[in-house]
Amino acid sequence: MLEYIGPALQQLFTFENFLWMNLGVFIGSIFAAIPGLSVILCIILFLPFTYKMTAIPGMMFLLGIYCAGGYGGSVSAILINTPGTPHAATTMLDGHPLSKKGRTKTALRIALYASTFGGIFSALSLLFLAPQVAKIAAQLGTAEYFLVCLFGLTIIAGISGKSLIKGIISAALGLLISCVGADPLTGYDRFTFGNARLYMGLDLAICLIGLFALVEILGKAEGKVGPLKLDTSKIKTEDKITKEEGKRMILPAVVSSIIGVIIGIIPGTGASMASWFSYDRAKAMSKHKEEFGHGSVEGIAAAEAANNAVTGATLIPLLTLGIPGDGCVAIMLSALMINGLNPGLSLFTTQGDIMYAIMIGLIFVNIFMFLQGRYLTDMFAKIVSVPQEILTPIIVMFCFAGAFSVNKSYFDVVVILVFAAIAWIMKKLDMPTVPILLGLVLGNMTETNFRRALLLTDGNFSIFVGSWYCIVFLVLIIAAISMIIVNKMKEAKKGVVK
Amino acid sequence: MKKIISLVLSVVMVCTCLVGCGDKTETWTVTCPWAPSGVAAVVSQKAASLSTEYSKDIILVADAIKGDAATVNTWVASTKVSDPELVFAGEGLFSITSILDPAKLQFTYEDFSYVENLYSSIFVMSADAKLGIDSIDSLKAYMEEGNEISVATNGATGSEAFLAAALFGAMGYGDQLKLVAYSSAAEAAQAVARGETNFAVSHQSQILETFQQGGVTMVCAFDGEDIADGPFAGVEGVGKHGYPYFRNRCFIMARSGADENKVAALKSLYGQILADEEVATWLSDTMLLEVDTMTEEQVLEHIDNVKNIVNEYYDLVAN
Repeated sequence: MLEYIGPALQQLFTFENFLWMNLGVFIGSIFAAIPGLSVILCIILFLPFTYKMTAIPGMMFLLGIYCAGGYGGSVSAILINTPGTPHAATTMLDGHPLSKKGRTKTALRIALYASTFGGIFSALSLLFLAPQVAKIAAQLGTAEYFLVCLFGLTIIAGISGKSLIKGIISAALGLLISCVGADPLTGYDRFTFGNARLYMGLDLAICLIGLFALVEILGKAEGKVGPLKLDTSKIKTEDKITKEEGKRMILPAVVSSIIGVIIGIIPGTGASMASWFSYDRAKAMSKHKEEFGHGSVEGIAAAEAANNAVTGATLIPLLTLGIPGDGCVAIMLSALMINGLNPGLSLFTTQGDIMYAIMIGLIFVNIFMFLQGRYLTDMFAKIVSVPQEILTPIIVMFCFAGAFSVNKSYFDVVVILVFAAIAWIMKKLDMPTVPILLGLVLGNMTETNFRRALLLTDGNFSIFVGSWYCIVFLVLIIAAISMIIVNKMKEAKKGVVK
Repeated sequence: MKKIISLVLSVVMVCTCLVGCGDKTETWTVTCPWAPSGVAAVVSQKAASLSTEYSKDIILVADAIKGDAATVNTWVASTKVSDPELVFAGEGLFSITSILDPAKLQFTYEDFSYVENLYSSIFVMSADAKLGIDSIDSLKAYMEEGNEISVATNGATGSEAFLAAALFGAMGYGDQLKLVAYSSAAEAAQAVARGETNFAVSHQSQILETFQQGGVTMVCAFDGEDIADGPFAGVEGVGKHGYPYFRNRCFIMARSGADENKVAALKSLYGQILADEEVATWLSDTMLLEVDTMTEEQVLEHIDNVKNIVNEYYDLVAN
């Protein structure tokens, strides 16, 4: 490794690389901050710019977009209660309540600091542990994937609010909706009602716009026109993270970064799952559980550190095994291949200088994300003082344009309206909408891996205890369910839950 | 200040319009209905990036909208004869979906005007290294023992699934075969490497890393002859043993009725791009594909060949 560091630094430290890095970070931040415009769309749009570049500046540009996208999604989640990206839905749970208290800048800064920490932690993991971690990732199979998903579903309890039953109903609805489209194991249509557009299933980014962005607008439409109902008078320059808050951020940020890296190396899981896991863990570990959902510093830090810790980790299976960890990274794979680089461990010896330049570059991408974020935070914070009658139509416009742009289909515009209607009805019934998102994120993966595992063993359930990894995950699931039951019984005694 | 900005913007707009008036360049969007990271999309991007080097009149812009038949349905419905639009279509749509689920297709081959085929890919079958199977003969011996086997494929009813079904079906071991669908070729490759399945069918580039790390052995190639070059040189072609096979091809199509001169110009442009030595080297060394320009007759023959295989081994895949 050391023999490649010198040549790698020589290749990395050029004006061109740093220019593209910064451009990528800026574009990614803005795209992710706007509801409806996804990071993956941004990468697809700007991919042609990399055709004429060599591998390093091209990757620096795309990584800039990717990493800043991890952070940028939190901006709209905090400011207007609408996550810019699916994984920012977790940040929204505490980010917006903290902003409502007039501490918008603090919320944005916590998100930025935690994102940077998670991103750099992940980049260092990629740099120093990639081949070793990749070997572990390669051992995880269908049964382990299913158990990870099952463990993820236990998070429902933590995000159900006062009624666990309502939370489970909501998550079940999300799981049901995730079944729409081609059966993953047979290819036959399910719940498509003869509509070819539904064959590929429903895009998570589109569902998100309806569930959170449009329903927020509908909610506003019901009330009188006024400011954003945020106490903007409290947004002052002295709105800073206190020492105590800074200390409280450290543990969740570290734990969440580790969770983010672990989740990130498992292909197909992604930042959303990492955010939910980390949020749940942070809540369980916190001495201030009552603050979660009401503007918890730890909640924001956990969610943001985790989703940015995924960024470097998803590159581990990509660069070592050629397996893209998520959709964005899959597109980066094509950028590498266009440059004649076929990712894999052999590339670490044949093109070691390029590989290490990319990995070291990821650290700098996160540093520039932090520096740009410091300036952008002040600008973003001002959005909350924009009159509602100006801001609302802009958000609506971006929602519809964003929904259309994903597949260039008017059908998706109808889909966001349907999801907005579902979310609005649920709101009226006092049912939480966040568990639907969890169901959508985990549904397909859970079902596919469960059925595939049973297909592989002809229906023998012993596959789920077939490895030490499985046993560890099973123990975690049993522990999580036991804790949920015990906690709910305690709360029931106190009369907190229904 | 505002006046100056407005003035500058107005001048820029007028200049842009004037420049556009004298411009004969036509921009053609090439829609790939599969994942932006897939083989077809990557090759399309590469070709698009070189279009301006070979033509002053045509600019190719690669676009990828994952949606398979749905994307092509929309393309057919919304594209007029005069629109500068192209789309990818392959044997998956014309030969597999058209038989498995015809209701899903709102188009036929007649809705398109063939432009060019860019490449062909020879699928390969790999085996879990622990099984020690590295030829058709050792595969036969293994199957003769009555072993039930699982084959990892990308998707449930794709080309890979039909190739596996055709091979084992033709060998007479169809009842011992279990197809296991994965959501990507990379996942399928990893499944066989860790022993979750016994075999996997994939593009060569998708199994290369796993093969180089020793996780799998190569059993056969789905082609008439052995693979001649590259890291898989010498891998046996199933055609030599009389088993059915087909290569993966993706045709670039214009809307039926499109100006013949324009279609000819596009075909010529693609021909020039594919004749570029750098492109051919990139295709063979990085993507492990072959440049494969085809006539329309050859395309129709390919579609029919795959249809025959799908019809014959339909039951093994669908059930």
